[in-house]
This record gives sequence, structure tokens and C-alpha cells, in this order.
Amino acid sequence: MFPIQSMRAALMVAAVGSVLAAMPARADDYPSRTVEAIHQFGPGGGTDRFIRAIGDPFQTITGQTLVPISVQGGGGVPAAVTFMQRPSDGYNLMAVGPEQVINHVLGRMNIDELQPIARIQYDQGLFLVSKDSPFKSVEDLIKTAREKPGSLKVAVTGTAGFDDALVGLWNLKSGAELTTVPFSASEMVSNTLGGHVDLMYEEYGPARGLIESGDLRPLVLFSEFRLPVLGDVPTAAELGFDVTLGRWRGFAMHASDDEANANAMFSILDQAAASQSYKTIEKESGLQFRSKILGPKQFKEFMQHEVEIYTDILKQLGYVD
Amino acid sequence: MLDSYLSALGYMASNPFTFLLIIFSVVWGIAFGSIPGLTGIVGVALLIPFTFAFDPIEGLLLLGGVYVGSTFGGSISAILFNTPGSPEAACTALDGYPMARKGQAGKALGIALAASAIGGIFGTVVLMVAAPPLARLALEFGPPEYFALAVLGITAIASIGNGSVLKALMAGLLGLGVATIGLDPLTGMPRFTFGSMMLLTGVGFVPAIIGIFALAEVLQRFGEGPQKGYVIDDVSTELPTIGEFIQTRITLLRSSVIGTVIGALPGVGATTAAFIAYSEASRWSRHPEKFGTGVPEGIAAPESANNAAVGGSMIPLLALGIPGSATTAVMIGGLTIHGIIPGPQLMQTNSDLVYSVFIGMMLANLLMLLVGVRMARYFALVLKAPYALVGPAIVVLCMTGVYALQNNVVDLAVMLVFGVVGFAMRRFGFPVASFIIGLVLGPIAELSLRQGLMLSDYDVTAFVTRPIAGTLLLFSAASLVYGLVGQFLRARRKLNGDTGPDTSEEAKA
Repeated sequence: MFPIQSMRAALMVAAVGSVLAAMPARADDYPSRTVEAIHQFGPGGGTDRFIRAIGDPFQTITGQTLVPISVQGGGGVPAAVTFMQRPSDGYNLMAVGPEQVINHVLGRMNIDELQPIARIQYDQGLFLVSKDSPFKSVEDLIKTAREKPGSLKVAVTGTAGFDDALVGLWNLKSGAELTTVPFSASEMVSNTLGGHVDLMYEEYGPARGLIESGDLRPLVLFSEFRLPVLGDVPTAAELGFDVTLGRWRGFAMHASDDEANANAMFSILDQAAASQSYKTIEKESGLQFRSKILGPKQFKEFMQHEVEIYTDILKQLGYVD
Repeated sequence: MLDSYLSALGYMASNPFTFLLIIFSVVWGIAFGSIPGLTGIVGVALLIPFTFAFDPIEGLLLLGGVYVGSTFGGSISAILFNTPGSPEAACTALDGYPMARKGQAGKALGIALAASAIGGIFGTVVLMVAAPPLARLALEFGPPEYFALAVLGITAIASIGNGSVLKALMAGLLGLGVATIGLDPLTGMPRFTFGSMMLLTGVGFVPAIIGIFALAEVLQRFGEGPQKGYVIDDVSTELPTIGEFIQTRITLLRSSVIGTVIGALPGVGATTAAFIAYSEASRWSRHPEKFGTGVPEGIAAPESANNAAVGGSMIPLLALGIPGSATTAVMIGGLTIHGIIPGPQLMQTNSDLVYSVFIGMMLANLLMLLVGVRMARYFALVLKAPYALVGPAIVVLCMTGVYALQNNVVDLAVMLVFGVVGFAMRRFGFPVASFIIGLVLGPIAELSLRQGLMLSDYDVTAFVTRPIAGTLLLFSAASLVYGLVGQFLRARRKLNGDTGPDTSEEAKA
């Protein structure tokens, strides 16, 4: 019952550990002031929490703070515009994810103006139905969807965004065509539980409580391998449909930023992501399964690969020609 | 259940620190609520890192107290300066500020405070005794029900204000129209953005109300020049007497119920609850034409509803793990970091936590009464300063707040434009309330209508055959017909030269 003291002790342990680890990385005094990370989601949302979670060890390592700046709405375009207007001095980061790739493909921003630094999180999602749903397994779902294409409604979050692309890819690969209906994250769950929609798409972390209570039944997982915690839920790949897209989160700088700063930033983020405090949060959010940190070069390749995938999907869905 | 309360009380009694946290959080919340641009969501989000150092219970008590305090706090600046400090309080400005201008600022604050506490306690009691069944009820609300609810609120547009119905409808339609600017919520295509990348976010509600209330007020006051008799220097907050309390009891009860139910619905929160409660208060009132001129019900309705919505939005959070509002969504994030998985099992596996939150929210509402009286008094001291100093300060504060909210420069432009719009609307007698209701409820109506049509494969009858949606829509239609007939009768009586009391039809309602 001495939270303050225990926190102080934990901080000291973390500080000592990270100072030891940080030594070789800090070439000069970069960063010597607050670093800001622009993102397109609301304060307290998944990305905001991600930046704060990394910001905690970031501060222990560098002595500087990492602050999330939320520029909400507009499908992420205003956030990108705001980021581009900021100076390329190494103190402005952008939190990136599939939304930036999709906006790039839709011609609403140019990700070549970004210098990828680190991909830190890589999530995996599921199709879920309410416990009262007639669909007991993914086979039931596929059968009905193939008989009456488009009649089943899947609740998703966001509009013409990642969820739409994933369902679109599922439709193309499986021929079990589903219609997406966009909701806010909380209404998506309430409409699924209330039986107003047939199923929903959600990442494992946020859905975990309702899966464990039995209110939501997971049917199929989108990842390369099954989750150890959901051993009996098949992956789409096992069914023969190559759908492994996942939501990922990372950081980028301006393409014109100094490469030395980018490398220094990666090394800090690498240590921050390996810290005990971040690992705990990663685990509590159900993100520990696929998240493997990627450095600037690998991350760039990963993003280029994502651009190809999303261009393909969005073309077939008719969003771009 | 009693055991759980006792054990939770035991926990809190053995940790006096928790009481300090509640006091701190209510003060923090009121402060955040009362400053434009710093909303309750920001207040909660900023405190989340601090909760890492606390136990989960202490953390949640802290966040819950901020939520309670901030929902009331907005009404202080709304009443005193016509500057809603938070979106939830926008509705309170409609009658709160006119009452303050009549020299009854203390009374207006007192009504807001008492109504907030009553609504807050009502919502918390419902949360304590009926969370699981109410959460299940909330699940019955699909897109058609959301649509019907929004329509119910929108039909009140025609009946609000004492001016012409035509002007009220025009203002309402303008609000509905402005709400369509930005990205199409279903296809993601830009609408009326005129090529501006930053306008893709649409016309934000907060910048629009700050412009239309606060900025327009400053313009108006400077237009009038220094005037005697306009000075509000009555700084003592007087809680309503028992007699006044009994007069508004029906409004308080109705608004608290509306607030709790709407709060429990995911995706719509305290702001919507306040406006629907206001619409209903004017619909059922014997003198609807007086709304907007500073009637006590016009303050009591939105304030009791928005605070009841706080308890309401905790219902799906604690019973199902679904946040009922943006602020509770932020709280979920805070819980997750503590290793608590919000979900239906929370009430069993973490009963100490859940019951401590119940007790904490109850305490927070009572504390709000004490703290609110004090804080409102300090705020009111500002009124002693000449308006030539206060006015510019309000403008600066609003601009900073509006920019800080989303870091979007377009929000500043929106605020300035709507300052002029608000000024013109008042000048030419267009009711601001109708416009704001259109702006708040328009997006809900549009999105839920289109979602509902997608779900029913474009079968319109799905909206009227569902029991809840059908009843609400029928009631909206009946109320419109009733209003029209009433107007027709009034107009005819006027023609016949009858000068009798023209409110006799409403008196029967």
C-alpha cells in the first residue's frame, strides 16, 4: 500500500537499467528537448495510449518527454497536413499505421515524404459474433455468405479505412462476401451484442473481456499463426484464404530529416519498446503475439509491401482505378 | 451486495488517501470543465499517466471524480460569460446566461449546481441498482432507435423560442446542413470542403458553439457599448429554495431519466442528453415561448440530464466493458493498463473496484455541491472587472482553447465565422437553440438512418415496425401535429380578436 514509494523504486531500477543500455546509442545530445508525435486519433485512444506507453520509458532513457499531439478526424489527412507543415528538425514525429498507407494509395498524402523509423506494434484481428448468433463456426459463416453474397453485415470501425480493406480482402480471397457497416468502436460492440448486425471485426485486445465472458464468439483469426490464448480459433490462412493483414503502429520522421537523428531515434525507441514498463502494457493490450520491432530499413520495406497490398485491394474494391 | 458495499467502504476508510483524491479530482474536473477548450476528456486523459502510480481503485476514483466535476464545471462559464466551457454545457447557456443578464447570476448558478447534483446522484443510484439490466436494454438500441431518438430531439426545433416558427425552422435546417460538412461518414468522400484538406474534419461542435455563444456575445456587448444596469455583480450562489425545487421537480425527474438512458447508450453522451432533455422540457412546458429568456427549467433540464448521463455512461462500461461516452472510452484505456480487463465479468472479479467507484461517484456529486458554490463565487469575481477588459480576455481564452482542442487551425476559422453567424442570428431574431440542436443531432440522425437502411437492405418499414423506434417516431409525429394545430388555433383566435391567455392549449399537456 505504498504506491508512491514503489513507483519511485521501479523508476530507479528502470533508470539505472536504461542508462546502462542507452550509453552507446547517444552520439551527441539529441534529443535535447521535447519530442512531439502527431497522430490522428482522439486523446486516450489506442494510438494516444501507445505513444504515452512508449513515452514513459522514452523519458527514463533520454530525460526528455515524448508528447502525443492529437489532430483528429478527416480520415487522418489533417494530421498528415499538420505534420508536413512542421519543421524537419528531428523533434517532430508522426505516428503511422495502415491509415497512412491507405491515404497514400487514395492520393490524399504521399508517404514518400516520410522517413520510417520504427514499427513497434503489430496487432491481429478477428471476426466475432454474439453468443446468440446462429454461426457456430467460420464454416457456417462462409456457407451462408456464399449462398447469399453481401446479405451478411459486418460491423467495422472507420470509413474506407483499414477495416474496410481487410473485409474487402476477405471477400476477394474467400468469395464469402460480407457487407461492411461503419460504427464507432463502442456502437460496433453494442450492435453486435444486440443482434443488429451479424458479426464484427475487432483486434484481440479490446475484445478480450467479452470473449472471456463468452458474450462474443471468435470465428476466425487474421494472422500467420493461431493465438496461444485462442487455441481453437482457426486462422484464415488455414482455411486457404491468405488474409493476414493487421493493424500496426510505428513512428516516422520527415524524409528530409537528418539520418543520424533517425538512427539515434530508432535506437531510443528500440530500448523503450524493450523496457519492462512498455512490455507490461503491450501484454495487457494483447499485442505481444506479432509485435516485432522493425528498424528504419526493414520498416521502409514493410511499408512498401503494404502499399502494394492496399493498392491491389482498393483497386479491386473500386476505390482507386 | 451489501457485503460488497461494506467491503468497498472498508477499503476506502482504510485509505484516507482516496478521499483526498476525490476532492482533488472534483476541483480539477470543475476547473477543466469551466475553461473553454479544456474538456472533461482532456482532463481525464491528462491524469491517466498519474494513475499508473496508484492502485486501480484509486485511479478510477480519480478519473470518475474528474468526469463528475467537469460535467458541471462547463455551466459556470456558460452562465456567467455565455461561454460554454465544455460541449455538455452548451445547452445551459441558452437560459443560464439570459437569467444572469437579468441580474440573477447567483440564482442561475444555484439551479445549475443543484440540478447537476440531483441528476448526478440519480444517475449514480441507477448505476448502483440497475446497471446489468439497463446495459441489456441499451443493446436493444440499434441504428433505427438512434435515428428515432435524434428525430424526437429535432422536432423540438419548431417549438423552441418565442419568435417565428419559420425562422426557427430555417435556423434548424442551417444547423443540419452545416453538420454535413466534412468526410461522408459512410463512404469517406469529402463533402462541402471546397478542397481544403483541414476542413475534412468538418465543422467541430466546440468551435461552432464557442463562436456562436461566446464570440457573438462579445461582439454584441461591444456593439451595445458600455451600458448601465447590465452589470452582473451578484456573486453569491444561492441554491434554489424548497419551493422552487418542487416547482421544477417534474423537469428534474424527466431530465434525469432521459440523461441516464441516453448516457447508457454507446456513442451518444451528455451533450445529446442535455439537448434532448431541453427539447422535452420546452415541449411539456406551459410556457414554451419563454424558453431562451432565462427560465429555471431551461437550466435545470440540461444540467440534470448531462450529469445523470455521467452515471448512465458508466453503466455499459462497468456491466459490459463498452464505453458509453468518449470520456469513459479514455477510462477504459486507463483500466487496461492496470491489467483490468473491462468486460461483463468485471462486477464479479473486481467487485471492490466497482463498488468503490459507486461510492466514490456518490461522494463526488455531494462534494460538487460544496466545491461548486465556492468555485463559482471566485469565477463570478471576474464580473466585477469592466467588460472592456473581460471581453478581449474571453476572446483570447476561446481562441487558445479552440486551437488546443484539436490542434487544427481551421477550428479557429470556424469559431470566427460562427461568431459572426451567431451575432447575425441574434440581430435578426433567429433562435440559436434550433441551430445548435440541428448541429448536434444532425450527424446522429444521418449516420443512424443510413446505417439502419444498410442493415435492412434499404427497407424503410424497418424503422417503424421496431417497437422502440416506432413509438419514438410516432410520438415525434404526434407532437408535430399537436404543435401545428395549436398554432393554427392560436392564429385563428388572434384573428377573432380574442386576447385571452394564449397558452391554454399547452396548459392541458
